[in-house]
Amino acid sequence: MVAAQNGHGGAYRRLLSEMSEWLTRYFQRRLPPGDVDDAVQETLLAVHRRRHTYDPQYPLGPWLAAIAKNKWIDQLRSLARRPMDELPDEIAVGDHEASVVSSSVLASLLDELRPAQAQAILLVKVQGYSVEEASGQIGLSASAVKMNIHRGLARLTAIIEKAPDVE
Amino acid sequence: MSSESLIVDLSSDLAPVQRRSMLREGGLVLALGAVELTLFLGLGVMRPDISHMAGSPYLMWRVGSLGLLAVVACVLAIRSFSPTARPRRGLMLACALAVAAIAGGAFVTPDGSGEQALLDRIDPARGMLCAASIFVLSLPIVALLGALMRRAAPTQPRLSALASGIAAGACGAFVFAFCCPFNDPLYVVVWYTVGCAAVAAAARWRLPRRFRL
Repeated sequence: MVAAQNGHGGAYRRLLSEMSEWLTRYFQRRLPPGDVDDAVQETLLAVHRRRHTYDPQYPLGPWLAAIAKNKWIDQLRSLARRPMDELPDEIAVGDHEASVVSSSVLASLLDELRPAQAQAILLVKVQGYSVEEASGQIGLSASAVKMNIHRGLARLTAIIEKAPDVE
Repeated sequence: MSSESLIVDLSSDLAPVQRRSMLREGGLVLALGAVELTLFLGLGVMRPDISHMAGSPYLMWRVGSLGLLAVVACVLAIRSFSPTARPRRGLMLACALAVAAIAGGAFVTPDGSGEQALLDRIDPARGMLCAASIFVLSLPIVALLGALMRRAAPTQPRLSALASGIAAGACGAFVFAFCCPFNDPLYVVVWYTVGCAAVAAAARWRLPRRFRL
């Protein structure tokens, strides 16, 4: 901190990083998760603005803890002022059933394929990578990836057609 | 903005800062008090009999107790601007000192003043003027202590503001004590206390509003 008071930016950066970790742990025990980052940044700003008030004759910990406690009280006050909407008993939420079912069915279908085929289909057809990008990730040539996709899709088609509950 | 980018912003182009010094701040308050006393007495408002009363216990009590209270309260106020300070104990000490000073007034009552009616001794019309004068004389000290408080980092700004108000009120009363023509300790206790309390209340109400850590 003394180096920071003398204008040493590197030392100050290291100090603020260590303070940030300590402050995150401090506020995580005292505030809702959504307010922790705000409180940490507010405290870092206060430390920066008031760094001239630190007296090197005394330990840094109590100085930082006093500022953090003040900011914690500020956050609690702002939490108390924040309007709270009461949630209705039957709140409407979006229906994710179709996507969840699709994801589950796809995973079970891919389990039926050879790993190289499943990985190629997942990368190119589901996640949108190009054949070249996928070949780099899998470690096969582009033509081998294309072949795996072709054979994998043919196998999937056969599985689906044989399944009794396909609509 | 994430904490990491904030840290990078804060640590880049970091300028050296001058460390806060309580001794320097105390010296500033003392210098302002001295300038105010000199200017005020330079206006020619000092009691004409001040040299005659120089050794009297009454004047010693009035000036001595107010001066001691002003010094102690200023030290406590400046100390309370530190983030790790606990101003509550200091405020209790200042209040105890004020009560002791008031109690001391019982021993220095001038001859004959105890025989007058209570209302005559208090003299509200002139007393209000004295309290208002103390209020006005304390304003420069309040302003200076408020500026020092804003630059520092008190974590209990309301108590620090109250301590600043008491200190400034005591300084204002100390300066005014050299020109106040009234000798009755009851009058001094009532109206000087009213003046100091008004300054303390105004500081307690106003100073924390301008402060943000």
